[in-house]
Formats: sequence, structure tokens, C-alpha cells
Amino acid sequence: MSIEHVNATETDELSGTNETIETGEADGSADASDLDAEELVLSYPTAPEPVIDGESIAAEPGAVTALVGPNGSGKSTLLKGLASQIAPEDGSVLLDGRDVHSMDTKSLARKLGLLSQESTSPDSITVEELVYHGRYPHRGFFERTTDEDARAVEEAIELAGCGHLRDREVGSLSGGQKQLAWIALVLAQDTDVLLLDEPTTFLDLHHQMEVMEIIETLRSESDVTVVVVLHDIEQAARLADRMVALKDGEIRARGAPEEIVTEELLADVFRVDADVVQTENGPRVAPIRARHED
Amino acid sequence: MRWLFDPKLVTVALASVAVVVAGGLVQVSFGAYSMTVGEAWRAVLDPAVLLDPRWLLQFFVGEGLMRSITGFQGELPELARETLIVWNIRLPRVFVAAIVGLNLGISGAIFQAVTRNELASPFILGVSSGAGLMILLTLVVFGSLTAFLPLIAALGGAVAFLVVYAIAWKNGTSPVRLVLAGVIVGTVFNSLQTGLFFFADDIGVVQSAIQWTTGSLTSTDWEQVRMALPWTIVAVVLSLAGSRQLNLLLLGEQTAKSLGMSIEKVRFALSGVAVLAAAASIAVAGIVSFVGLIVPHMVRNLVGSDYKRVIVGCLFVGPALMVAADVGARLGMGVLTGADSQIPVGIVTGLVGGPYFLYLMRRQQNMGEL
Repeated sequence: MSIEHVNATETDELSGTNETIETGEADGSADASDLDAEELVLSYPTAPEPVIDGESIAAEPGAVTALVGPNGSGKSTLLKGLASQIAPEDGSVLLDGRDVHSMDTKSLARKLGLLSQESTSPDSITVEELVYHGRYPHRGFFERTTDEDARAVEEAIELAGCGHLRDREVGSLSGGQKQLAWIALVLAQDTDVLLLDEPTTFLDLHHQMEVMEIIETLRSESDVTVVVVLHDIEQAARLADRMVALKDGEIRARGAPEEIVTEELLADVFRVDADVVQTENGPRVAPIRARHED
Repeated sequence: MRWLFDPKLVTVALASVAVVVAGGLVQVSFGAYSMTVGEAWRAVLDPAVLLDPRWLLQFFVGEGLMRSITGFQGELPELARETLIVWNIRLPRVFVAAIVGLNLGISGAIFQAVTRNELASPFILGVSSGAGLMILLTLVVFGSLTAFLPLIAALGGAVAFLVVYAIAWKNGTSPVRLVLAGVIVGTVFNSLQTGLFFFADDIGVVQSAIQWTTGSLTSTDWEQVRMALPWTIVAVVLSLAGSRQLNLLLLGEQTAKSLGMSIEKVRFALSGVAVLAAAASIAVAGIVSFVGLIVPHMVRNLVGSDYKRVIVGCLFVGPALMVAADVGARLGMGVLTGADSQIPVGIVTGLVGGPYFLYLMRRQQNMGEL
């Protein structure tokens, strides 16, 4: 990850999404990492049917891909599959051409970071100590922290905007502040690919915007390939270069936000009637009623 | 190394050393041959021993090894009567107490992180029930093997741990599965152990069995120090080396995995270190309860939950608690009733540990989480 490499061609963050995709791709071919899942079949030992049954998805290098879908549609499962947290029954996930499941766990963790939905930590460690754990994959068994670790932690804390929390104990933080600390941890991991599972859920508006801004900074100022699961479609449309909509473990649509966020798709995937208005801040969704057709 | 000189940790270490020294002095002063604290102190610091590597080696590694290291073949110089009593009889017991406390402390600390449960003890994964069953089997059924009891007990504990792991394993394990498997194995083995008491036809055998299963330091000698010390050193080094992994385990399985930890390997290896430490203490003192539960708690309360500090803290607080408890076990009955008898130290640790835990429970709101 090279947050300091500012992409000079990137001028517009929120509007003109098509251009962003192109610059993103042009950028991506140079440095950014590819994450490709092919014919992925994912299931849990307790469930009889696979949650994801043969889906392919490619995260756009250096750009932000958002996974959206209703509860239980398999977004988080797909994300865990991409992160090699679940062994696929069939199919493969390739990170820059290498199968993630056959990679050594530590070298995978140096290239791919995952922020899970529920994170627990002892209450009495400080934010800085927590963020230092993000350096785990970069350290040998007996190695002490290096200057590079310190620099990565510093950058991560700054980017996540939790410098003022550095010496606070994690147990004393609000939910939103905790989330920023955890985001700093995955940023300190210094990976080419970042997978975020509902990073804004349960946060107040201020902290939702904080998290969105972090992802926007990653999109515009770094080569990091981001895949993020989001509950809020408007947020997803605003943040992402590409969107993927899931329902019942199937990918129903993929493409630029304005192609995805349509009244038809909301009816089909989310089972709501809604008005969609295109604004300069991306599509605005006004839900009207839940559909009960089935 | 800044974490090592954390003021709280240093205070805890110094206070613990003070308790060990005070407890040790009481232990070496009182007994059938009483001497003043001053006399005892002089005997402990007797230069005839402290400055003679032959005596020190004789005590810590044994006579045979001493002779092959130093090449010395004659008779060792004679020691003063007090020195002989203190060094030969009373001091080894203090050393064994310290070693047992230290082992139980780190073992409990590791198991509490591995199972992510503050109420875990060194014996949560079946170690005590396996050891207890083997102790009873040896004493009641295979009387001829009594000489190997320490080894058999330690092995029984280790085997029970492996059985627990095998039961819990199903495409990997989880803290909850491990604890449940520990309960299953513990229940069955404890029943068998209690059943075996019925076949003991001799009150001496029963008393001996009770001593072993509640933990006792009566008649411990340098031989026990020599038996436990090498394993203790290994366990200490490995648990210090593993403290970063322990810290990561506290962040939860998912986080540890996504940071690239091979969680099953690490969990098994760390549990193995904890079982080694617990087995070393069982081999010399039997099954001392509560120490392994309470020591990591006290340490965490005093120095925070960073496991580097927790493990180092346990190295000091464990011996302090155990040495102090053994003072009560050895001399308590004499003070209370005037009788010249000792009680198993495990009874004292339980009597002290229970109320301390109650105090913790009343004071802390978030009991049960790490």
C-alpha cells in the first residue's frame, strides 16, 4: 500500500463515475493487485446447501467494489471466501494469479487484509497497542518492532483519524471510535487488498462519514484494491467504482453504481418499491414500501 | 524492552520477591529444630554453601552430575548444623513451592488466553482428572509402581489433555468445544477416580492419595527441585516467546486468522506448553487447586492484559502465593491447635483463593471476560 502516492489524474471523487473507473483501471494495471474469484462454491459445515453456489467475481484493481444485498444474501460469506477464511468447496480465489488458499497464511495476510463485522479485544489495551497487532504478519517469531512497523502504524493511525485516541484504552471508546481503531489495525497491515465487512453498520452518522472518508482516501490516493460490504445502498453507490448486488447467494447484477441502483433492481433484489433520483452526489433512494408479492 | 520496566510490573515483582523471602525465612526458621530468624538468615547465606559451587551443584543438579562437572571425587566439606538443616531439609521445600506456583501461574495464564475464558485454570482441559486417575490407579492397583508416581501422574495429565483435544477436534477446534470436551473427560475420569477409593483397603493409601490429589509439599526435597526445574525453564522460555501469540488470540479467532496466524497450530502448541508447566507441578506437588486460576487474575488486575507483562508477573506472583500458602500448610496446624501435623497445601490455597475470588467478583463488574 502506498497511500502517499497521490494519483494525479484523479480529479473528481464523487461525480463522473465512468471516468473514475477508467483512471482506476489505467492505474491498476501498474501496481494494484487483482483479486479474482472463479466459480466459487462456499458453504458452512452446519448448512446443507452452499451459501454461494458457483459465482465469479473480480475486484477491480486499485478501485472500490461494493457488495450489496439483503440480509442473508451471502455478502459476508463471499467476503470471507475471498479472504480465504472459508475453504471453498469448489472454484478458486486468485490474488495476482496465485490461489489464496494455497498461500502461506502469513504471506497472504501481508497482501490481503480483512476487517470482520464483530471484533473483540481486551478492554485494557490502548489503541496504539491494538494497531500494532496489525503488524503481526510482517514480523517473524522473535522479531521486535522495526522502524517500518512504527511508520506503518503511524500512517494507519493518521489515515484512520484516531491520533487523538492513541493512548486511550479500547474499553473506554464508543462504538464508532472502536471501529476507527480497528480500521487503523487493518490499515497498519499494509496490504494491497482490503476487504471490509459492513464497516459502517451500527455507527452514528458522524462515524459513518469518517469511515466513508477513509475509504474515499484509499480510493483516490492509493493503489489499494478495496472490496466493501455495505448495507446502505446510497452509501455504496456514493463510495464505489463498481457495485455487485447479491440475492440468495447469487450475483444478480454488477456494474457502475448508476447501472445498479435502479428501481427495477431494488424491487428485484431488495424487494422494495422505491424512487431513485440521480443527483450529483450519486443516486438517491427513497424507499416507499416493502413488496409482499411472494 | 520498555514494557518490562513498567512501574506497575516492577512493583508487583518486588512485592512478590519480598513475600517469597519473608515466607521462606519463616519456613527455614521454624520446625522441630527451632532457630531465631537471625540464625536462619545466616544459615541461608552461609558462604560455605553459597561460595562453594560443589555444594550448589550437589543441591541443584545432584551429586552424580556435580562430580562429573567438577571432577571432584572426595568428601564435601562438613557444614554447620544449622546450615545443614536449612539447606538440606527446609530450603528445598521453599524452592519447590516457588517452582510449583510459577508453573501453575503461567499455565493458568496461557489456558485463560487459549480458551478466552477468565475462569479457566491449568486443569480445565482434563489435566488434573487424568493425573488424579493415574495417581489412584498407581496407589490402589499397581502398588509396585509407586516409585514412579510423579512421572505417571504427569503423563496421565498429558494424555488426558490429548484425549480432550481429540474429542474437541472436528475440522479444527474452538475454545467452547475444548472446554466442553474438558468437562466430559473430567467427569468420567473423576468418577473412575472416586470409584477407585473404594478399593483402597489401607488408610495409609487413602491418605497418600488425598495428599496427591489435593496437592502437598510435605517431605519435598532437592530431588523434587531437580525433577521440575528443567521442564520449568523450558515452559518459561516458551511461554515468554509465545506471549505475542497469546495477545493475538485475545483479539478473537477471526482477527487472529485474518492477520495470518495458523490458529490451530498455535493453540495446540501453547496448550502443550501450559500442560508441560502443569505436569511439572503435578509431578512434585500433586494437584494444587486454585493457584493457577487466581494468580493470572491477580496479575491481570495489577498490570493490565498485555500478555508479555502477564506472563512475567505470573513468574513472581505465583511463587509468592504458593510459598505463603505453604507456610500456612506447614505451620498453621501447629499455631492453631498445637498439634504437630501438616495439612496439604492445596487445602490452604483453596481456603485463601475462594475468598479472594469473592472479593474480585464483588469489585469487578465485567467478570468473566478477558
